[in-house]
Amino acid sequence: MSNTTTIERTPFSGLRSRTKGDKVIWTAVVLLAVVSLLVVYSSTGLLAYKMYKGNTEVYLFKQFAFILVGVMIIYFAHQVNYTVYSKVARILFIISIPLLFYTLFFGVKLNEGSRWIRLPIINMTFQTSDLAKLALFMYLGRLLSKKQDVIKDFRSGFLPVITPVAIICLLIAPANLSTALLIGATSLMLLFIGRVSAKHLLLTIGVAAIPVALLISAAVIRHSANGGTTEKPKVEGKSGLFVRVDTWISRVETFVYGGKEDNGDNSYQINQAKIAIAKGGILGLGPGNSQQRNFLPHPYSDFIYAIIIEEYGMVGGIFIVFIYLVFLLRSIRIFRRCPFAFGAFLALGLSFTLVIQALANMAVNVNLFPVTGVTLPLVSMGGSSFLFTCLAIGIILSVARNVESTEGGDAGRTTASTGKEAEPV
Amino acid sequence: MEVKRDILWRVYLCFLGIVALSLVVLGKVFYIQRVQGAYWKGLSDSLHQKFVELDAERGTIYSEDSSMLSTSIPYFNIYIDFGADGLREKNGRRFTENLDSLSGCLAALFDDQSAAAYKKILLKGYRTVDRYYELQSNVSFEKYQKLRNFPLVRQGRNKSGFIAEVVNKRLNPFGLLANRTIGLARANAQNVGLERTYDTLLRGESGRRLVRYIAGGTYIPVEGYEIEAENGKDIVTTIDVNIQDIVENALLKELIDNEAEHGTCIVMEVATGRIKAIANLGLQPDGTYWEDLNYAIRATEPGSTFKLATLLSLLEDKKISLSNTVNLEGGTWKISNRTVYDAEKHGKYVVPVKEAFELSSNVGMAKLAVAHYSTNPNQFIDHLRKLHLDRPTGIDLVGESTPVIITPKSRTWSATALPWMAFGYEVLVSPLQTLTLYNAVANNGRMMKPYLVSSVQESGITVKENQPTAIVEKICSDETLRQLKECLIGVCQDPEGTGTKVFKDAFYKVAGKTGTALVANRSRGYADHIYQSTFVGYFPAAAPKYTCIVVIKNKPFAKKFYGAAVAAPVFREVADHLMSTSADQEFAATPPLTKDSLRYCYAGRTRDIKLVEQTMGLTYTDSAGSTDYGRLYASTRGSQPVLNREPVSRQMMPDVKGMGLKDALYLLEGMDLRVAVKGSGKVRTQSIEPGSPLQKRETIFIQLD
Repeated sequence: MSNTTTIERTPFSGLRSRTKGDKVIWTAVVLLAVVSLLVVYSSTGLLAYKMYKGNTEVYLFKQFAFILVGVMIIYFAHQVNYTVYSKVARILFIISIPLLFYTLFFGVKLNEGSRWIRLPIINMTFQTSDLAKLALFMYLGRLLSKKQDVIKDFRSGFLPVITPVAIICLLIAPANLSTALLIGATSLMLLFIGRVSAKHLLLTIGVAAIPVALLISAAVIRHSANGGTTEKPKVEGKSGLFVRVDTWISRVETFVYGGKEDNGDNSYQINQAKIAIAKGGILGLGPGNSQQRNFLPHPYSDFIYAIIIEEYGMVGGIFIVFIYLVFLLRSIRIFRRCPFAFGAFLALGLSFTLVIQALANMAVNVNLFPVTGVTLPLVSMGGSSFLFTCLAIGIILSVARNVESTEGGDAGRTTASTGKEAEPV
Repeated sequence: MEVKRDILWRVYLCFLGIVALSLVVLGKVFYIQRVQGAYWKGLSDSLHQKFVELDAERGTIYSEDSSMLSTSIPYFNIYIDFGADGLREKNGRRFTENLDSLSGCLAALFDDQSAAAYKKILLKGYRTVDRYYELQSNVSFEKYQKLRNFPLVRQGRNKSGFIAEVVNKRLNPFGLLANRTIGLARANAQNVGLERTYDTLLRGESGRRLVRYIAGGTYIPVEGYEIEAENGKDIVTTIDVNIQDIVENALLKELIDNEAEHGTCIVMEVATGRIKAIANLGLQPDGTYWEDLNYAIRATEPGSTFKLATLLSLLEDKKISLSNTVNLEGGTWKISNRTVYDAEKHGKYVVPVKEAFELSSNVGMAKLAVAHYSTNPNQFIDHLRKLHLDRPTGIDLVGESTPVIITPKSRTWSATALPWMAFGYEVLVSPLQTLTLYNAVANNGRMMKPYLVSSVQESGITVKENQPTAIVEKICSDETLRQLKECLIGVCQDPEGTGTKVFKDAFYKVAGKTGTALVANRSRGYADHIYQSTFVGYFPAAAPKYTCIVVIKNKPFAKKFYGAAVAAPVFREVADHLMSTSADQEFAATPPLTKDSLRYCYAGRTRDIKLVEQTMGLTYTDSAGSTDYGRLYASTRGSQPVLNREPVSRQMMPDVKGMGLKDALYLLEGMDLRVAVKGSGKVRTQSIEPGSPLQKRETIFIQLD
C-alpha cells in the first residue's frame, strides 16, 4: 500500500510547479485520496471476491484510475477562468432538469429508487442528482451574486433564488429523498449566507417541514399499528412512488424506534457500523484489518467512515474530520479574499456542500442520522460522485487561482470583470 | 464592504455550526467506543461467531462374517433458493434458458412427475421467490451425482439456487434379517435392539467447531476452537447371516402356514453361548410378518420345556432315578380342586419317569413334584435359582424381561403352585432363558451367558472383545447330566417321544423337548385355546454344536398347536441346513475326495441342476429358491437329496468346490478374477478360501479332479 502512495505522490509533485490555487486544499485532496486508496482496497475484498474471484487488486487499480482522472479534472477545472463557470452553471442547470425527469421515469434502478442513468458510450452509470447538485450550487452562486441588491425583496430577490432549489429538490425527492433534503438544507444555508431574509427562509422551512412531519407521523402511526415491531410489511402491486414512500416511512421508523435487538435491514447496517466503531478503539485495528467490512453492506461507500474508524481508530476519525474542516476554512479564506461576488459564492457554496455531505455520511455512520446513501466525498470508492466532487474542487481551486493571480499582480481583475459579476462586494 | 461583513459573520456562524456538528459526530464515536463499546463488541461475537455441531458418523453393525447389518448412508434433501442472485440476474435469463431442459432432466431422474409438472413447480417457485423450496427429499447419492450434472444445477449453488442438505439414514442391507435384534436407530423415537444397547458406542461423540461468518452465507472455522467429532465405533455381532437367513425363512414359512400370531427362533453356539441367529416375527395388520418385537427375550409361561428343570431337580436331589415309575392316571389328575390334564390323551397309567418325560406328561411331573417337594417347596425353588431361571440372562439387549419364579412367600403362592410349576406354569421365563438352560445341558453342565456382540471395532481395529463367559460352571452332577441327555434324546427317538415323528429320519441325532402351553389371553383367560408351541434342543446329540429354540404363539383355536407339530418342524429345517453345511465344511476340509456317490455333491447353476434332476426323474428337496447357484447334496440319511442355495455375493469369494469347469470359470471370471486351472473333472480345491473378500483381477488357482 505504501508503494501506491508514493506512486500517487510522484506525478503530483511533478505537477506542483504548474498547479496553482490553494496549496493546502491540494494537500487535503491528496491526503483524502490516499486514505481512499487504503480503505477502498481494504473494504472491497468481499466485492472483489464476488465479482472478480478474489482478484482484490482490481478495485485498487480502479480507484487509482478514478483518482488519476479526478486529479486531471481538478487540474483542468482549475486552469479555467472561473467566470466561465457562471455561464456553464446556467447551462448545466437547464440540462439537469430534463435529465432528472428522464432519470425519474426511465432511470436504472440500483438498490431502490431510480437514481441513475447509464451513459451510452462509456457504459457508466451516473447519478443525475450529483450533476444537478453541482449545477444547482453553481447556479445559486450566480443568482446570489446577481441579486444581492434586491435580495431582501420577496418577489424580485427571494423567489428567483428559491425556485431553482425547489425544482431540483422536488425532482430528486421521489427517488432519493435524503439527497433532496440534504441539498435543500445546504441551499437554505447558502441562502442564509447570501443574506436572504430570515423571515423568508423560515417560511420555506415551514413549508418543507409539512411533508417531513407527515412522514414522521406516518412512521409513528404505522409503528403503533404494527404492535411495536419495526417489521417491514410486504408491499405488492403498488406503483413505484408508493413503494418509495413506504421505504422512507420504514427508514424513519427504524431510526426512531430501531432497537438494538432489531435485526432488520437498516438496523443491521447501523449495528454493524457501531460494532466497527466500537472495535476500532483509539488507534484502530490497523490498515487492512477490518472485520466488519465483511458484514457491512457497501463498506467502501456508504459506510466507509465506520471502516476508517475500525482500522485507524478514533485518531483516524478525528483526522478525517480535521481535513474537511481545514478544507472548509481554506475555502472561507478564498471567499474572504475573492473580490468578486460570483467567485466568492461559488467557493463557499461548493465547499460547504462538500463538507456537509461528508458530515452527513459520518452522522449516518455513527447513527445520528437515519441510513441514507450518502458517500464520503473523495474517500468513498469511485463513481460519478467522485468525479463531480473533483470538478467542484477544481472550480474552487480555479477561484483560488484567480484570487492568487489578482493579488499577485491584479492580472485577473480585467479578465474576471464581466458585467455585474465583476462588481466587488 | 458592509455587505461583505454581513456575509462574513453568516459564513462564520455556519462554519461554527459545521464544527459543532463535527464535534457531535466525534462525540458519538466516543460514546459508542467508551460507553457502549463492550456491548457492541459482545454483539459482534454473538452475531458472527457460533458453535456448530460436527456430527459423528454412526458406527456400523456387522455380522460375524463382516457383512453389514446396519450402516449409515448419506441421503440428500434438495432445496431450491429461487431468490439466488445468479438465478434472477438479467431478469432471470439463466432461469428461463434452462427451465425446459432442467424440467425434462428432473422428470427423467426422479420419474415421479412429468416434465410439464416440474416446469410448473419451478415457475411457481420462481414467481413467488420461494427461498427454500423442497424439491425432493431422501435422494440417494447416486441420483444426487446425476442431479449435479444437470443444466443449471451444474452452475453451482449461487447461480442455480440448488441447495443439497445431507442427512444420514440408517440402512439395513439385509432387510428383515434379525431386524429387531439389530434394532432401529430413529430420529424421533427411541432406538431398539443392539442399536439401543450399544447406542453410546455407535453414536460416537459429536464435536464442536467455532465458526465465523464471512458474509455470502459462508462460515469459516476459527483456528484452535475445534473439537473433532469422534466417529461411532463399529460393532461385530455374533450373528451369522447365512444361519439367520435359514432361521428367518424356516420360521416365516411355518408362521404363514399356521397363521400364527408370532414366533421366535434362536440359534446358539453350544460351547460359547454366541447367538448365531435370532428371528422374531410378528403378524402385522396387513397379514404379513415383520420383525416387530423381540419375542425371544419376553418372559411367558414356558410350558413343558420347563419340565427339564423339574427333572434336573428331582435327579440332582436323588429323589428319583429314571427307572422309577409314576402313575399318569390316564392323563388327568385332580389336586386341590384343580385338575391336571396331559396335553395329549394317552390313557397310560404306570410308566417309568423317563417315559413320562418323553411323552411330556403334565400329570407325571406334577405328581413327582408334589410327592417330593410339597413338604419343602423351597428345595425345588432353590434349584431353579441355581439354574438362574429367576433372573435375566444378561444378554446385551435392552428390554429383556425379568422372569418370575414364585416362592411360598409370594402372595400368589397356592397349594397348586408347586405341581403347576413342575410342568411350566405359574412361572414366566423367556425363550432365551429356556435356551440357555438347554444349552448348559448340551455344554456338559456349563451354562454360558448368551451374547450378541463379539467385538467392538474402531476403524477396523478391535478395541473390545467379548469373550464367552459362563454363568454357572456346573449346573448339576455329571450323572444327572447323563440322565437328562438320555431323556432329551429319548424325546426325539423313542417310540413314546413327542418329537420322534419329526426327527426319526434326520441324518443326525437331536436331543430336545417339545412344549405346548395354553396361553392366557389377557382378560379371557385360557378360554380362547391359544397355544404356544415350543421346541428346544441341541444337535448333533452326541457332540452338540448348536442349541436352538423355536417358540410359536398360535392363533386362537388353531388346528395344529402341538410343539411337535408346529415348532419342531422349524427346528428340523434349521438343523438340517446347519448340519448339511457343517457336513460340507468337514468334507471340504478333507481334500482327498473319496468318490463315494452317497456323499457326492453337485454344485453349479441351480437351473441346470434342477433340469438334470427333472430329466432324470429324481425328487429332491429344494431350499435353493431362485438363487443362481446351488449345491445338491446326496443326503444319505434323508430320503431325498437336498438342493441348497449357494450364497454368491459380489464382494466375497464364492465356493466353487464341486462345480464343473464351465460353471466355475463363468462364475469366477464374471467376478473379474483371473483363473488358473489344473486338472479335469470337478473343482477340488481353490486357492482363495470361500468367503474371503474379493480383490479385482486377483488370480485364483483351481484344482480339478
